Amino acid sequence: MPSSPVNPDQIQEQMQALQAAYAEKIGKRVLEIKQSWEQLVQDEWSPENLRTLHRRVHSLAGSGATFGFAYLSTIARTLEILLTSILETGNPPIALQRIQVQALLSSLNQAIQEPEQALPELSALVALHSSPTKSNSSHLIYLVEDEPELARDLALQIGYFGYEVVCFDNSSDLKQAVLQQSPAVILTDIIFSEGYSAGLEMITALGRQLGSNMPPVVFMSVREDLTARLQAVRAGGKAYFTKPVHVPSLLDKLDELTRARPQEAYRVLIVDDESHLAVYYSLILQRMGMVTQVVTDPFDLIAVMAEFNPDLILMDVYMPHCSGLELGAVIRQEPAYVGIPIVFLSTETDLSKQLNVINLGGGDEFLTKPIQPDHLIMAVYARAQRARTLRSLMATDSLTGLLNHTTSKEQLLQELLRAERTQSSLAFAMLDLDHFKGVNDTYGHAVGDRVIKSLSRLLQQRLRRTDTVGRYGGEEFVVILPNTDGDAAYKIMDNIRQRFAQVRQQAEDKKLFATFSCGIAVYPEFPDMDSLMVAADKALYRAKHQGRNQVVLAGKP
Amino acid sequence: MAASLQRILLVEDDPDIQAVTRLALEAVGGFTVGICSCGKQALEEAVGFSPDLILLDVMMPVMDGPTTLKALRELSPLRDTPVIFMTAKVQTHEVENYKQLGAVDVICKPFDPMNLSSTIRTIWATHHA
Repeated sequence: MPSSPVNPDQIQEQMQALQAAYAEKIGKRVLEIKQSWEQLVQDEWSPENLRTLHRRVHSLAGSGATFGFAYLSTIARTLEILLTSILETGNPPIALQRIQVQALLSSLNQAIQEPEQALPELSALVALHSSPTKSNSSHLIYLVEDEPELARDLALQIGYFGYEVVCFDNSSDLKQAVLQQSPAVILTDIIFSEGYSAGLEMITALGRQLGSNMPPVVFMSVREDLTARLQAVRAGGKAYFTKPVHVPSLLDKLDELTRARPQEAYRVLIVDDESHLAVYYSLILQRMGMVTQVVTDPFDLIAVMAEFNPDLILMDVYMPHCSGLELGAVIRQEPAYVGIPIVFLSTETDLSKQLNVINLGGGDEFLTKPIQPDHLIMAVYARAQRARTLRSLMATDSLTGLLNHTTSKEQLLQELLRAERTQSSLAFAMLDLDHFKGVNDTYGHAVGDRVIKSLSRLLQQRLRRTDTVGRYGGEEFVVILPNTDGDAAYKIMDNIRQRFAQVRQQAEDKKLFATFSCGIAVYPEFPDMDSLMVAADKALYRAKHQGRNQVVLAGKP
Repeated sequence: MAASLQRILLVEDDPDIQAVTRLALEAVGGFTVGICSCGKQALEEAVGFSPDLILLDVMMPVMDGPTTLKALRELSPLRDTPVIFMTAKVQTHEVENYKQLGAVDVICKPFDPMNLSSTIRTIWATHHA
C-alpha cells in the first residue's frame, strides 16, 4: 500500500506555489510563441519550425488550465487547431490563416494581462438569471383597510386562491408586522381616518425605513385623481386599483408580483469533440445556473437528446466523422426538434461561410472561437429564453396558460411511464364546469371566460408544482397528480371543489357562483392511458348524473 | 487481487507539468515517481527504475509518445508494463487509437492535480480486474 498522504493544507500550499511559479513564466511562454510565429512568417518558413510552434502552443493549451488559466488554455487550443490545419496542408499559411493566428495571439496576450479572465466573474449577468422568487412567505399578503366588511370580503376572495391574508386597520400595526415578517405584497387603501392621503404617507415612511427590504405595494382607492396616482408611483407602488376592486385583475397582479412558479433552469446540450472545450463551456453555463450535458461523440447525440430534452444545442462545426452541419440537418429532420435553437461554434471567421453553415445546418447563430464567456452566456441565454417562451405558447392554452389538449395527453403519458418505472401511484382527474352553457348564455362569453380563468388559477394555486393542470376543451380541465392514491386525490379535488363553489365570480352587478364536477381514476388500478382516461370520464359522468358539484372516484360505489 | 501500484515513471517534456504531476502523485497519492524529459531518456532509464506503470506524454519533441511506447515495448522487462497516455487531444476515436497502440488508457490534459492519483488507481484497478 502507498504510504499515507501528507497534510492536505501542505499540498494546497505547494500547489499554490507551483501555480504562482507558472503564472510568472506564462508571459515568457506566450512571448516565445509569438516570436516563433513572427520568425516563421518573416523569413524562416519550414514545416519543422511550424511543428515547434505547434508543440509550444499545444503544451500551453495542456498546462494552462491545469494551473488555473482555463481561458488562456481555450485560446491556445483554438490556435493549436488552426496550426494543425496549416500543418496538414504542408504549405505556408495563406493570408486569412495569418490573420486568424494574429488575432488569437493577441487574445493570448490579453488573457495573460487580465488573469481574472481565467474564471470570469459574471456578477453583472447573474441578475439576468436569478429569478425573483421568495421562499417562505410567498403567499402572505398584508391587507390594510379600515372598513371591516370590505376587508373581510376581499381577504376571503383572495384567500380562495391560496393567498394567506392578514388584515390591519391601521398603519402602526402594519409596521410592527412587516418588521417581524415581511409579506409577499402589501395591499393598502389610501384614505384613512388620519387623512385623505394617509395610506400614501404611511407607505412612503415605511419604504424609507426598510429601503431595499420593502415588499412590493399595491394601492387601492376610490380616489381617481392624478395627484394620488402620482404619489402612489413615487411611494413605490407597483399597481393602483380604483375601488370597487376588480378581483381577477388584482389576482393577476398578485400572481405576477409573487411569481408562484419559479422558472426551471435552461437545459443546454453541448456537442464538441474536444472534451475539455466542451467542459469549459459547460462550466461557464453552469455558473449561470443552467443545466448542461456534454456529448463528445456525435453518434451519441440522438439518444442523448431524447433523454436530456434540451432547450438549446451548442455545437462545434468541425468534428470527426460528421460535421456539425450534417448533424444540424439530422436534428431538423426530426419534427419534435424543429424548434430547438442550434448555436454553432467554430474558428471560421468568413461571414459567408458562417451564413452557409447557418443555412445548411439549420442553425440560429454562429459564434467564433475563442468565445468570450459573456458572449457565450448572452447568446445562449437569449436564445433559450425565447425558444422556451415560443414552446410554451405552442403547448399552452391562450386563455389560461395551462397545457392544451395535446400537451396534457403527452404529459399524462410521460407521468404514467414514470409511475410505472418508479412503481408509484398516479391519479388522473377530469373536471367539467357545471351548467357552463347557461353562464355563457346568461352573462355573455366574457364572463364565461373569467369563470374558466378563475378555475384555472385556483387549480394552479392549490396544487403542487409537480402536478399538471391542463385545459382539455371548452369548460373541461384535467389534473395529473403523481405519487397520489385515490383517497388523497379525492380529498384534494373535493377541497378545491368546495373552495371554488365559494368564489364569487365577477358578473357586472350580479352575484354569480360557479361549480364543477370531477371524476378521478387511479393508476395502477387502471393500468394504461386509455383505461385511465375512460374510467375518469365515466366517473365524471356519474358525478354529473348524481347532481353535479361533486367528486367521484372510479371504482368506488 | 490487483498487483500493488507503487512506482510510476512519468515521461513528459514540459517542466511545469512535470512538477505538478510529481506533486499530484507523490504528495497526494503517496506514489514513488521517476521523471524522464524525453523518449530517449526514458529508453535509457526506464528499465533501471523498474516502474509498475508508465505515464507517457503524447506530444514530445524528437520522439513522440507513440514512438517511445513502441521502443519501450522492445525492452523485455517493459514488455507488459501498463502505459497511460497523457494528452490534451482526446477525441473519442483517438482514445481507441491509443489503446490499439498498447496503452491501457488515456488521461486528458488539463487534469485536476488533486484527482490524478485516484484516476490512475481506478485505471489500474480496471486494468487488473
